[in-house]
Amino acid sequence: MSASNASTTGVPAITSFPSRRLNLWAEKIWRVAGAVNVRTKILGMVLALTTMLGLAVTWQVRAVMTSVFADELENRGVSVAGDLASRSIDPILLNDTYALHQLLRETVLNHPDALYAFVLDPRGEVLAHTFGDEGFPVALLNPDGIEMSYNMHGAIRHWVYNSNEGLVHEMIAPIMDGKAGVVRLGLTEKRLQAIIDVVTGQMLLTTLAVAMAGIVAAMILTWLLTRPILDLVKTTQAVGRGDLQARAPHWAEDEIGTLANAFNQMVAELEASQRAIAEKEQARHMLLKKLITAQEEERKRIARELHDGVGQVLTSLMVGIRTLQRSDVAQQEERIDELCMIAGETLEQVRTLSRELRPSLLDDLGLAAALERHASEFARAYPGVQIDLHCALSGRLPTPTETALYRIVQEAMTNAARHGKATVISVLIGQRNDSVQAIVEDNGAGFDVDAVRRRQSSVGIFGMSERAELLGGTLDIESSADGTTVYAEIPL
Amino acid sequence: MKRLPRSCTLLIVGWLLIAAAGLSGCSLGLTTNAAPFIDLQERTPLPVAAPAEVAHLRMGVAAILSPQGTMTSYSALAEYLSRKLGRPVDLVQRRTYAEFNELVERGEVELAFICTNSYVVGAEKFGMELLLAPEIGGESVYYSQLIVPANSPAQSMADLRGKVFAFTDPMSFTGHIYPTYLVQQLGETPETFFRRTFYTYSHDRAIEAVANGVADGAAVDSLVLDYALQRKPGMSERLRIVHKSEAFGIPPVVVPPTLPPRQKAQLRELLLTMHEEVEGRIVLHDLGVDRFIEIDDAAYDGVRRLVQATGIR
Repeated sequence: MSASNASTTGVPAITSFPSRRLNLWAEKIWRVAGAVNVRTKILGMVLALTTMLGLAVTWQVRAVMTSVFADELENRGVSVAGDLASRSIDPILLNDTYALHQLLRETVLNHPDALYAFVLDPRGEVLAHTFGDEGFPVALLNPDGIEMSYNMHGAIRHWVYNSNEGLVHEMIAPIMDGKAGVVRLGLTEKRLQAIIDVVTGQMLLTTLAVAMAGIVAAMILTWLLTRPILDLVKTTQAVGRGDLQARAPHWAEDEIGTLANAFNQMVAELEASQRAIAEKEQARHMLLKKLITAQEEERKRIARELHDGVGQVLTSLMVGIRTLQRSDVAQQEERIDELCMIAGETLEQVRTLSRELRPSLLDDLGLAAALERHASEFARAYPGVQIDLHCALSGRLPTPTETALYRIVQEAMTNAARHGKATVISVLIGQRNDSVQAIVEDNGAGFDVDAVRRRQSSVGIFGMSERAELLGGTLDIESSADGTTVYAEIPL
Repeated sequence: MKRLPRSCTLLIVGWLLIAAAGLSGCSLGLTTNAAPFIDLQERTPLPVAAPAEVAHLRMGVAAILSPQGTMTSYSALAEYLSRKLGRPVDLVQRRTYAEFNELVERGEVELAFICTNSYVVGAEKFGMELLLAPEIGGESVYYSQLIVPANSPAQSMADLRGKVFAFTDPMSFTGHIYPTYLVQQLGETPETFFRRTFYTYSHDRAIEAVANGVADGAAVDSLVLDYALQRKPGMSERLRIVHKSEAFGIPPVVVPPTLPPRQKAQLRELLLTMHEEVEGRIVLHDLGVDRFIEIDDAAYDGVRRLVQATGIR
C-alpha cells in the first residue's frame, strides 16, 4: 500500500511503518527534508542537537533548583518561625507589645524572603504585625484553604497560598504550645524565583551562544563537505560538455574522495574508449576508401582479364571461325580442333575468374570443403609452403559466419606467405560452446601488431577484425619473431 | 554573507518555537498545586476588641520565675480561680519587681504573688496588704541559697571573689539583698568584690546561668531551686549549693489596699480552702505548695532587718 503510494507520488519510500498514517508522515517529513540542501540539513541537525540539549539541561536544572529552593525555603521558614515563636514568649507574657513588634519587624527585615509576620493571642486577636499603619489584610485571619492542605513540621504548620505578591509560604508556629498564641510568618518565592529565572536566562543565553557557534561550525562543516561534491558536479558538467580531460580534484580519503576517484577513473575509461572509437572510425573510413579503390582495381583487373584474355581469345575464335568458312575441309578439321582448344582455355579462364570472385564451393559444400580447395590452390600458388588444415565442424554454419571465417583464414594465409615468408601454415577450425574458432598459425617472420594497427595501414588486418566484430566475435593476433597466430572466434 | 534559504529560515524559526514552548512549560512556581488566593493589598484597620462583658480578675505574678516558667506554673491556678469565680482570670507579668509593685500600687492587679522584699517595700510605701502565704512541708519559710557550677572549687561566698555573679532582680531579697549582705559581711561591696555582676530578672534564669557556666555563682530562692532540681532532669549534677541562709518568711500573696473587702474575703476564702478538694490539690501540687495559710506581717521582720542592714532600697 505504502510502496504504491510512494511510487505514485514519485518519492521513494524510505521506511515502511506498519501504520499508514505513520507512512504518510514519514513521506511528508522526507519530502521536506529531501527538498532542502545539504547545508540546511547539517544546520538543522546542529541546531536541533544544541537546542534540544540546551533546553533539556535548562529544564532539568530549573526543575532541580525549583525543588531544592522550595525545600530550602520551607526549612528556613520553619526554623525562622520556630525561633520567632520562642523569642515571642517573653514579650507576650510580659505584655511588651513594642518588643514583640520590634522582634517581628527585625525578623522580617533580616530575612530577604520574609513578607510579613504577625502574632495572634490564644483568642485569635492580633497582638503585633508588620503590615504597618495601612491596616491588616483581614483575609489572612481566617483563610479558606488552610485546612485543606498543610504540612506539619513538628508543631509548625506550613501551607501555601496565592496572593498579589505571588505564592506565599506561611509558617504557623504555636507559642508555648499555643498557650501564648501563634506566630505566623509569610515567605515569598519572589527572590528565589528571580534567581531561578536569572539562571535559566543565563543557560538559555549559553544555549543560544552554543547554537550560534554550532551554526558557524555547521557552515564550515558544510563547506568542507559540499566543496568536493560541488567540484565533482562541476567536473561532471565539464565532462557532459565533452571535455574528457576534466578531472575532479581529490580532497580527502573519505567516501567523497573515493567517489571522485571512481568518477575520474570512469572519465579516463570514457576517454580511452572515445579515442578507440575515433581510431576505429578513422580506420573504417580508410577501409572504405581502400575498399572502393580495391573494387575499382578489381573491376580494372576483371576488365583487363576479360579484354586481354577472354576478349582476345574470343576475337581470335571469331577470326578462326571466319577463316574456317573460307578454308578447305582438311584444314577445317585441324582448325576446329584448334578453335575447340582455344574455347576450352577460355572456359578455364572464365572459371578461374569466377572462382576467384567467389568460391561456389563455399555456398554448395560449406566451409570445410571451400578451405580444402583453397589450401590446394594456395599450395599450387606458393609451392614452398606446407599447409596443415584441420577442420572439425559438425555441420554447416550460418552463411555469414562461413564467409567471414573463410575470408579471415584466406587473408591470414596470404599474409603469412606473402609478408611473413612462412614455410609452415597450420589452420585449425573448431566448434566449442556455442562459438566457432579459427586459429591460423605460421612460422613466419612476425610483425609488430600494435604498430600495424596504429598506423592503420593494413586494410587486411582491419578487415579481419571488422568481419569478426560484425558478427559479435573477436579477433586477436599474437606475433613474435617465431611466427604469428591469429585467433578468431565468432559466436553462433 | 549569502542569504539563508527559505527552508533554512523555517527550520530556525521552528526551533525557536520549540525553545519558547519549553520555557513556557518551565515558568511555574516553586509549588505547583492549586493554592487559594488571598488579597494582601486589601487592608482594613484591625477590629478593636470588644469590651469584656464580664470583668476579668487580674492575677499578677512577680518575676520570681521567668515569664515562661510563671506561665507554666500559674496558668493552672488561674484556670482554677476562673472556674471558681465564674469569670476569666488574666495572668499578668512584668519584667522587674519594681514594675510589678507599681501595678499593685495602681490596683491594676487584684491578686499578686510577690517577693518578700517587694512586700516589705510595698507595705511601707503604699500599704500593700498581706492576704495569705503558701505553706510547704508544714512551714512558711524559705531560704536564700548560694549556688555555683558543679565543677567550681568555691566553698563559700569568699571563694567567689573576682568572679562573675548573677543577681536576679534589684528588689529580690534572696537574689540580690541576701548575697549583698554576705559580701558586706566580708567587708566588701558587690561592685569591688565581683569582677562583674548582672541581673537575670528571674530565679530560674539565674539557676540556668550558673548551670551553663555563664555565671560563677548566684543566690536564689530555695523554693525555685527545689522546684528546678525536682523538675529539670540533670540539673542537680550541674550545680552545687555552697551556702544556705537562715529561714525567712515565705513570699506572700498580697492584694492592693484598694481592693474591696468583699472581694478580698472571697479570694482569701477560695485560696484557703483549695487544698480541701481534689481539683485544688492538683493545682497546689503543680505549684509545689501544700496549701495557703494566714500569715502575720511579723513573719517578714527578718527580711526587714536584713534589708536595713544592707541599706538597699
